[in-house]
Amino acid sequence: MADDPPAGAQPARRGPPLALPAAAPLLQMLIPPLIALLVAAVAVEIWVRADDVSIYLLPRPSSVLEEFFGDFGRYFREGMQTLAVSIGGLAIGTIGATVLAAAVAHSPLLERALLPIAIMVKVTPVVAVIPILIIWLGYGWEPKVAITALITYFPVLINAISGFRDVDPRMVDFFRSVNASTWETLLRLRLPAAIPFLFAALKISVTLSLIGAVVAEFFIAREAGLGSVVRLEYEQLGLPSVFAAVLMLTLLGVALSTAVVAIERLISWSPHTPPSA
Amino acid sequence: MPATAAAPPSDSAAPPVAAVSLRGVSVTFSAPGGGAVHAVASVDLEIPAGQLVSLVGPSGCGKTSLMRVIAGLTEPSLGEALVFGEPPRRAQEAKQLGLVFQEPALLPWRDVAANIELGLQLNPSRTRRAVDVERLISLVGLDGFRRFRPDALSGGMQQRVALARALALDPPLMLLDEPFAALDEITREQMRYELLRLWTLDAGGHRADRSALFVTHSVSEAVAISDRVVVMSSRPGEIVADIPIERPHPRWPAQERTPDFHRDVDAVRRALRDQSRLHPASAL
Repeated sequence: MADDPPAGAQPARRGPPLALPAAAPLLQMLIPPLIALLVAAVAVEIWVRADDVSIYLLPRPSSVLEEFFGDFGRYFREGMQTLAVSIGGLAIGTIGATVLAAAVAHSPLLERALLPIAIMVKVTPVVAVIPILIIWLGYGWEPKVAITALITYFPVLINAISGFRDVDPRMVDFFRSVNASTWETLLRLRLPAAIPFLFAALKISVTLSLIGAVVAEFFIAREAGLGSVVRLEYEQLGLPSVFAAVLMLTLLGVALSTAVVAIERLISWSPHTPPSA
Repeated sequence: MPATAAAPPSDSAAPPVAAVSLRGVSVTFSAPGGGAVHAVASVDLEIPAGQLVSLVGPSGCGKTSLMRVIAGLTEPSLGEALVFGEPPRRAQEAKQLGLVFQEPALLPWRDVAANIELGLQLNPSRTRRAVDVERLISLVGLDGFRRFRPDALSGGMQQRVALARALALDPPLMLLDEPFAALDEITREQMRYELLRLWTLDAGGHRADRSALFVTHSVSEAVAISDRVVVMSSRPGEIVADIPIERPHPRWPAQERTPDFHRDVDAVRRALRDQSRLHPASAL
């Protein structure tokens, strides 16, 4: 056959392995920043001790770690609350935005009607709406999830619209030529085409989701969550606890972002990831 | 896989229905900034069932527009298009059309086998018959590549996948819009005979009764494979010559050196030259 595959071509693998970096590169990636962090912590520790900085300004790193690990159950428990709100809001925001994007991409009329409203909601500072949401939804998890959804939906919406439209017009012609339904075109052409776009948006939205959850917990401090820990401990000047809560939030942020990348490598088809047939 | 028996649309009693019948078809687009572009002007064209007809003409002469009308993707501004005696819309519904484009237009997230199966999965209640995708893959010479995704294939191989995707539908009418234009010369000359071999075979490798419209820039390509070469003038596209190619099938590459072949090529070239004299704007 005259047309050989280009050099280095790989057959599409079915069921690719969880494509996280292998152990050795992972360590190589983690060790330098960990060392830098350790150096910084030691420097702060020395400075705080030497200069006798007040604990109400800057607690020693060692006392923060003592608090964090000494009361780990608390931070973990509150962290799971925050995580649940984040993921719940992100899921609702993402699904809602994807459905809205499908409608908008499908109909120019819907685009003209709905997109300006979506942008208006986006440019309104969500924090200002929180009291209203509390009045409507009560003091439970509902307003927290709603706030998180409101903060996270926009990147997904914009990217999903681009993704649904980023299809080869010849492909649309082929679908029409066999009388494929709108639903089939969405499911087998537009949605798969949008997947890489959705993940690009999710990488932004996943960090926004933690912000949304924490801000909501500031307002609804009666309920649990790391946001309420930060606020209560701040009011009682418990700075080591504030720092410990922030540390837990950092770890959650890393975990969430890593999870999005891992899921993307599992299911997205974009060229740099292993294919799934 | 659902397989509904759809009899080939050739009745025995009535006179055979033409695969394609165009009557006074015009296509006019509104140009940006007002005005209109006449892409196709009152074209009459009949493709009897079982014929492979090539459409040649200069760039922008409305060949693609005409093909889109037949495929039911563009409404003619005037006139009427019939596919097997019915509006193109019915041919879409019955999945009678096998489209191949200049670009392979494959789904990048699907591998070779899944791309070939695509047409079978869409509108599945009208799928004409179950197809052995393995068989089709070897028919188009892609053995061993079934798990490859398009971006790992060469242009020629991608176009074979697109061809197999169309053939999987077992379509009584194939519409090929410059399918080999983007390929290199060597692959291209090879593919024209591949096409000739494939278009008379059904997906199981048996003889099929099939009609085809083949749009191309290449005169030798058209003469090599067609039963008829229809020459179009440049904008507005009109049919200026209809040249029968009477060499019998099967055909093979060595025939391209015979006097018969050159006579036919000359006839088509002359028609193209004549049209460019009539429409000097297209002398490009």
